[in-house]
Amino acid sequence: MALYSRSGRPRPQSGGFELAAWYFMRFSGVALCVLALTHFSLEHFLFDPSQEDSTWIFNQRWNSLFWRGFDWLLLMMVLLHAFLGMRTVTMDYLQGGRRTLALTSLYLVGVVLFAMGTIVVFVGMPAA
Amino acid sequence: MLFRYRGSEGMVAWAFHRISGIAIWLFVMLHVLDIYLAGGNPNVYNDILKFYASTPGRCMEVLLGAALLYHALNGLRIMAMDFWPRLTAYHKQIWYANWVVFVGAGLPGAFIIMRPALGL
Amino acid sequence: MDVTLRILRCDPERDGAPHWETYKVAVDPMDRVLDLLIKVKAEQDGSLSFRRSCGHGICGSDAMLINNRNRLACRIRVDQLGKKISVAPLPGLPVVKDLIVEMSGFFGKYRSVRPYLINDQPEPERERRQSPEDRARFDDTTKCILCAACTASCPSFWARPEYVGPAAIVQAHRFIFDSRDEGAAERLEILSDEDGVWRCRTIFNCVEACPRGINITRAILEVSSAIVGRRG
Ligand code: SF4
Ligand code: FES
Repeated sequence: MALYSRSGRPRPQSGGFELAAWYFMRFSGVALCVLALTHFSLEHFLFDPSQEDSTWIFNQRWNSLFWRGFDWLLLMMVLLHAFLGMRTVTMDYLQGGRRTLALTSLYLVGVVLFAMGTIVVFVGMPAA
Repeated sequence: MLFRYRGSEGMVAWAFHRISGIAIWLFVMLHVLDIYLAGGNPNVYNDILKFYASTPGRCMEVLLGAALLYHALNGLRIMAMDFWPRLTAYHKQIWYANWVVFVGAGLPGAFIIMRPALGL
Repeated sequence: MDVTLRILRCDPERDGAPHWETYKVAVDPMDRVLDLLIKVKAEQDGSLSFRRSCGHGICGSDAMLINNRNRLACRIRVDQLGKKISVAPLPGLPVVKDLIVEMSGFFGKYRSVRPYLINDQPEPERERRQSPEDRARFDDTTKCILCAACTASCPSFWARPEYVGPAAIVQAHRFIFDSRDEGAAERLEILSDEDGVWRCRTIFNCVEACPRGINITRAILEVSSAIVGRRG
């Protein structure tokens, strides 16, 4: 096997992460075509933002495990797809220390949003 | 160079894909925050909701829907070529077909979203 | 007929700052941009530097940015461009002087994909035979003349010069899909890291730029499909 990459430096052992990311972007992309477009149509075509207050969300919109599960799956896919996409953009335009910094903050924000979203989807209760 | 080089449809398709992607990412962050507030602080959430239901809010939603629809259609175009590389010969035709779907689905969608703001 | 020719000049022995110079040139509409450059060098400014050799689109030495697109100066005529013509060095590559760019990085990437037949079988008595179908499999990518028009038109390459670039992938494709070659696994490995095929964003600038009309994006996607198929 080749021990050197194109620039003559030792090959970075990426462990196939690029390939996995490539796959995942495509897989989640297809999933999002269904999940995100359904979600958007529900909120904007079937219902209207003027009626979607927090009581409505918890009592009507999320009155079944199916819709909570649906929205959680959407959340998971959209966060991974969006943050992997932003990783791609970052890796295109930033190098060295700035890249590491940007990627680290990106992942941190992603994890925090994932936690916040998961909490509200699963344990969110009707407002008292 | 990015702005000076005369690319063709493929370069515009890529630029739009990136811009719409970043826009959707920004909105997703906002949206997770506001939904979190729906559970945590309903009063603040209901205030944000008033913005979503206002005319500027609706314009933003139309733009968001456009970004989503474009990103989805162009994403499908890219994936189709990934899995069947011979489709690259028709990449421009596929792109124009995307715009037909975009306008066909987008105009009625935009109308439904804007209807309350137009008083219809 | 007179045309206004703008050339992005750069002389490292003076100050090295790129600047536009304008020349009025009397031409025939059927003249090629290469003819204009030769004319300017002969009649107006002998210090103008550019590469050319064959003059017929074979050697690949005179790719440059002409009216904001990469093309071979010897393959584009005045009547295809109009009365205002601008010429600049290939974008994204370091300028040596005027229209001459440093190509060693480009050729280094070319060499890195092992662009030669790899076959460790005992040498056959006669040539290694190949069916017409097997030959057709990589026909498109045999046409490359290594002019760098594609690599220097790629926004992924501008953003990150470490990207191996379309030309090197085209050259790898030429051998990966050759039935007589046995180095495919090695080349796919080389092309599967962060600066390999995954940096292709399906932008098609390379396809538009290629003077040989190679469907480069298709070749790149065939290589990435081969990587996916091998490991996925
Ligand atoms: S693929 Fe085409 S544009 Fe690229 S180096 Fe070869 S001949 Fe030039
Ligand atoms: S001079 Fe040889 S390709 Fe143009």
